[in-house]
Amino acid sequence: MGIIAANIIAIYRRELQSYFSSPASYVIAGTFWLLSGLCLFFILLSPSSLISQVAARDQMGITTPPVDVAYEFLNVFLGAVGNIALFVLPMLSMGLYTEERKRGTLELLATSPITNWAVAVGKLLGVLTFFIAMILPLLIYEAIVLGASNPPIQPTTMLLGHGGLVLMAGAILSLGMFLSSITSSTGLAAMLTYALNFFLWVVDYIAQGVGGSIGAALSHLALLKNFTNFTQGIFDTSSIVLFLSYVVLGLFLTAQSIEAFRFQRS
Amino acid sequence: MIQVEHLSKTYGSTSAIQDVTFEVEKGEILGFLGPNGAGKTTTMRILTGYLPATSGTAKIAGFDVHEDSLAVRKRIGYLPETPPLYPEMTVEDFLHFVARIKGVSAGDRPLRVTLALKRCNLLDKRKVLIRKLSKGFRQRVGIAQAIVHDPPAIILDEPTVGLDPRQIIDVRNLIKSLAGEHTIILSTHILPEVSMTCSRVAIINRGQVVATNTPDQLMAQLNSGLGYELEVEGNAEALAQHLRNLAGIQSVQVSGADLSDGLPENRRKLSIALSSSSDDLGRQIAATVVRGGLGLYEMKRSRVSLEDVFLDLTTEEKPLEVEPEAEPPSSELSGGED
Repeated sequence: MGIIAANIIAIYRRELQSYFSSPASYVIAGTFWLLSGLCLFFILLSPSSLISQVAARDQMGITTPPVDVAYEFLNVFLGAVGNIALFVLPMLSMGLYTEERKRGTLELLATSPITNWAVAVGKLLGVLTFFIAMILPLLIYEAIVLGASNPPIQPTTMLLGHGGLVLMAGAILSLGMFLSSITSSTGLAAMLTYALNFFLWVVDYIAQGVGGSIGAALSHLALLKNFTNFTQGIFDTSSIVLFLSYVVLGLFLTAQSIEAFRFQRS
Repeated sequence: MIQVEHLSKTYGSTSAIQDVTFEVEKGEILGFLGPNGAGKTTTMRILTGYLPATSGTAKIAGFDVHEDSLAVRKRIGYLPETPPLYPEMTVEDFLHFVARIKGVSAGDRPLRVTLALKRCNLLDKRKVLIRKLSKGFRQRVGIAQAIVHDPPAIILDEPTVGLDPRQIIDVRNLIKSLAGEHTIILSTHILPEVSMTCSRVAIINRGQVVATNTPDQLMAQLNSGLGYELEVEGNAEALAQHLRNLAGIQSVQVSGADLSDGLPENRRKLSIALSSSSDDLGRQIAATVVRGGLGLYEMKRSRVSLEDVFLDLTTEEKPLEVEPEAEPPSSELSGGED
């Protein structure tokens, strides 16, 4: 058990080091910060924004129902960040295995006394940690906006919103990791992950179209619908279970595909 | 230390290796010699547990490479054809990482890494990013990662490919220095490499081991046509006549009469072929030359190089392969006409 943990940590540290030393990952992080900063700007300051809507309501003397601006802001902002994440995450996961394959280091890992599971878990934790590092600056944005809110925002709302974001990222990264393990082309891995994201994004609409029990089942798979639960501060076990299932599924498929790849390859 | 028995591997319908059997004793360096595509890499990948064999068994230190894969992986160091390196890491960080995943305990790691750096002459490059290293240094880092956990068995796939001559000498010396405490298999298609570094050779061609022996004995096996070359001054034809009468001499050829090879006017070259390698006739040949009153300017054994052995062993089967390849289309054609 201790050996497996040590192996996971070794992989995790190496993975993290490669993210922090790669210029590409800073470009990705920069894009993410720029896009989320733009969202913040529009949510706060554009004429059709939340703030101006509330101000207009106040001017017209409408006070019922009361609007918790801080809560609404966080909801909208995290929702937007979630959408940006869907766009950014495949870029983080696309190289997880394709790069190893390109450099031949997969052969090193496969001939070391370390299981495919440990490699996959270490890698996923590494990339997830990098993503968490990417969302930390957003907390500063939020602190600036919410610092003045009265009544102050509930800590559980904050926690659920960001926890949900991390969980959804884990799900996408895990599935993206699997897709990167089945190909040796980084670009293809990214495209497959985008396609999967798009499917999980629109599956909710498809489900509404299909209707019935199949539709209901499909709608459970949707990423954003479950993510919205979190941003709204709803503690929904089924959403947590869904995201964790995606994570485990991704890990399982990755370990299996690496094994299968080894058995087939010429 | 390493036992390979009747190992076969097929990809779909093509077989990469067939019935490969050999053994490596502890401390030995076995050279795995064959042309590109002969099945060297496949065999090595099976030995390292990277690929499963279709049939047959391979054991390293008593552990089956497939059944006890993890136990085997702990005991081997492996350098694939392209060194598996992370360019964004420094040499030292990379070796620490490899030591960690190879299961070297935290306490031993600094020592093991330093030893590997020292052995591979990388001490002054320890803080350099692998990305910035030249090909030769990368290869050394590749070898360092294969020995950092002090494995009993080391498997090196084409360790000198793509290096300049000086680097090749360095790497060969390094490999030689590892023998004794480590058991080594190295693959190569460069023939002199084997005679320079290996204590034993397995020649593989078209997926089959066609010969296993020490480099010297392997040459002796093919020495039946071994001979001598002489450069003499005097009546070479008469000498040739005398030599032909000696028992054990197959043929004597005289050259140089036309002066085309730049010999002084009265000198000739003789090529002597011996009929068997059991008797070494060098002493009698020299005595015959001296008795005949000729001047002896050069006398050397025409040693068959491993290269010749190799060509001999691997070209033999080529015609066999060509025929079936050429036939099927014609039989298909005739089948169509019928």
